[in-house]
Amino acid sequence: MKPDIVRFSNEMRQFGLAVVSAIAVLLAGGLLGAKTEEAYRQRSVEQAKVQADILAAGVAGALAFDDQKTVGENVAAIRRNPQIAAVGVYDVTGVLKARSAASGATGPPDRAPPSSARFHRNGVVVASPVIQQGVRLGEVYLRTAPETLSDTLRRHGGLALLVIMAVMALALLARNTAELQRRSAALEDANLRLLREMDEKARAEEALRQSQKMEALGQLTGGVAHDFNNLLTVIMGGLETIGRAAPPQVGDPTSARLHRARDMALQAAQRAATLTSRLLAFARRQPLEPRAIDVNRMVSGLAELMRSTLGEAVQVETVLGAGTWLTLADIGQLESALLNLAVNARDAMPDGGHLTIETANAALDDAYVAAQSEPVAAGQYVMLAVTDTGVGMDKQTLEHAVEPFFTTKEVGKGTGLGLSQVYGFVRQSAGHIRIYSELGEGTTVRLYLPRYRAAEVAPEERTDEALPGLLVGDETVLLVEDHDDLRAHSAGLLRELGYRVIETADGPAALAALEDNPDIALLFTDVVLPGGMNGRQVADQARARQPGLKVLFTTGYTRNAIVHNGALDPGVQLISKPYSFSELAAKVRRVLDQ
Amino acid sequence: MAFRRVPSWRRRTAGLALAVLALCAPVFSAGAAPLEWAVKATYLYKFVAFVDWPPGALGAPGEPVALCIVGPDPFGRQIDEAGAGQQIGDHPIEVRRLRQATRGSGCRVLYVRGGSNRAALAAVAGEPVLTVTDGGGGGVVRFLLTRDGKVRFSIDQAAAAANGLTLSSKLLAVAVRP
Repeated sequence: MKPDIVRFSNEMRQFGLAVVSAIAVLLAGGLLGAKTEEAYRQRSVEQAKVQADILAAGVAGALAFDDQKTVGENVAAIRRNPQIAAVGVYDVTGVLKARSAASGATGPPDRAPPSSARFHRNGVVVASPVIQQGVRLGEVYLRTAPETLSDTLRRHGGLALLVIMAVMALALLARNTAELQRRSAALEDANLRLLREMDEKARAEEALRQSQKMEALGQLTGGVAHDFNNLLTVIMGGLETIGRAAPPQVGDPTSARLHRARDMALQAAQRAATLTSRLLAFARRQPLEPRAIDVNRMVSGLAELMRSTLGEAVQVETVLGAGTWLTLADIGQLESALLNLAVNARDAMPDGGHLTIETANAALDDAYVAAQSEPVAAGQYVMLAVTDTGVGMDKQTLEHAVEPFFTTKEVGKGTGLGLSQVYGFVRQSAGHIRIYSELGEGTTVRLYLPRYRAAEVAPEERTDEALPGLLVGDETVLLVEDHDDLRAHSAGLLRELGYRVIETADGPAALAALEDNPDIALLFTDVVLPGGMNGRQVADQARARQPGLKVLFTTGYTRNAIVHNGALDPGVQLISKPYSFSELAAKVRRVLDQ
Repeated sequence: MAFRRVPSWRRRTAGLALAVLALCAPVFSAGAAPLEWAVKATYLYKFVAFVDWPPGALGAPGEPVALCIVGPDPFGRQIDEAGAGQQIGDHPIEVRRLRQATRGSGCRVLYVRGGSNRAALAAVAGEPVLTVTDGGGGGVVRFLLTRDGKVRFSIDQAAAAANGLTLSSKLLAVAVRP
């Protein structure tokens, strides 16, 4: 606004200057014109006087000696000059002796007028005496023709033209100056705009770099986690098999020691599995099972759990919004995310403090969305905020907060995967995460999950699956798994459960086996397979040949084969690696009994 | 003058005035001799103004210029009336009536009438005197009467030159060619 005012006042000053200059030029022109006019009149009067003198000299003798003819001749001669409109000659007594006037012009007066010479609108009027050596002989009267308009114009035209041109030049100059100022202002604006755009571009590039970094980290961690899952499945399965094969012998110290070692190994393997699942979550390759969730109910349940686990020093409070919308998300992952945040909050408050979990409805508008570096759609969201009164984070820490393995905790205390899981899960659920933090003030993490608009049925309660007691069977299972160890391990588990198992390593082999064994009841396949067919394609072709065939997928992570956007296709059964003996037993039985 | 008698209501139209003038002038000049003398009297005064006098001929400023009438005076009081208050430059006019013209009389204009002028003219020959004759010939200026009775004059430039006078071309222009 301010530069505009300055520019405007500048223009006004220019304009004022031009007006003053124009007025000065006009005044000077007027003065000069008046001066010229005055000089012209004097000259005209002088010329008329000269004419009168010539006439007086010419008629002096004739007047003195009463020569009417000569007077007439002189009058006629002087009237030859077309600029003389009227002439009169009077004798010494004032009687008109001779006259002449242009047609249409007023004639000379009848009696001699008093001597004078003046400029008149109708022309210069001169009346002068005829004197010969001091002897007054009479009077002559002479009037010139009034100046024609064209003569007047010609006389003043040049000056007027100059003045007009000067004024126009001034106007042009003022206009050009104003234009120049406008242009320089526009240039300034453009420069500012350019600087702003460069800033924006730099920000956008930074955001792109950040998201590429996250993507690369996701690829890396996802790949690692997938391989680890396969290994962990084998390890955990092996340990379970050991436990089942050699039941503890009461009173045998060797047996007891072996079982303790086995239990510890199994626990470690399970913790490793938790880590890989977080890595997968960060990589957004966690298979999700989204359901409609009433976040208020869920938070209430979680708050109880937190109060008992976070310790006396941390006061857990919940602020639940009224009429909070449903959201569609994997409840296990959401709980995991909130617990991760709670753990971080506790660690940020070593001396205790308040942990507040808040829920509310939120709308992200276009302006907010446009300002974010990561893609997020505008619209209605359910907001979950976890706030602590802890130490907070500085800017640099905040920048790296969600990167996997980034931690401010002591070595061995944190994995650096907590916020990564939260971030990956929220992003995979088409949500948005926002972290506000200031050193010494605490941290607020807001999770925005899309509003779920389907019929607002009461969300189904998770039914904890009962451990398999007698979940065994004798059906034939076609196992497709490219990982040799894992295939052998899984086949062993299934055989242990009583099933007949046909092992294949890829899709074509599996389909061939299906041809040979029409009694296959279940296809248990890995999603990612070598040999040009993925698990889904194998399942589709197998179903085409044997419509009643049951299918169970397994995967360490999923790309697009059976999981769209991280959500299972309806009706698809999946067991995530690593899975335990009991999980596998329950899942296989459930699929077969459908 | 004849013009004065033109009725004033007719003066408005120049052509008509001229016609009236043409009719009236001869009547008055022929029938009224005194008018002729009055005209001649004023002419005598006016001649002075149309002459370039030699330096010093008119005397010091304020000194009168003598207008001499030699022999019988045909003007009477008319010439005194005509010259009353008249001045040629700084010089008043003084009318003198002389029986005989003599050298050194101081006359600047010398009027002689009739044939008895030879002696008078001879008396002032070579002096800066404007000699005016009325009939009989001789002199610088000679009065004439036109056929319609108007007073005119002719000029002898050689005579003027002999007296050391130069006459104004304005005078020459209105003079009748001899």
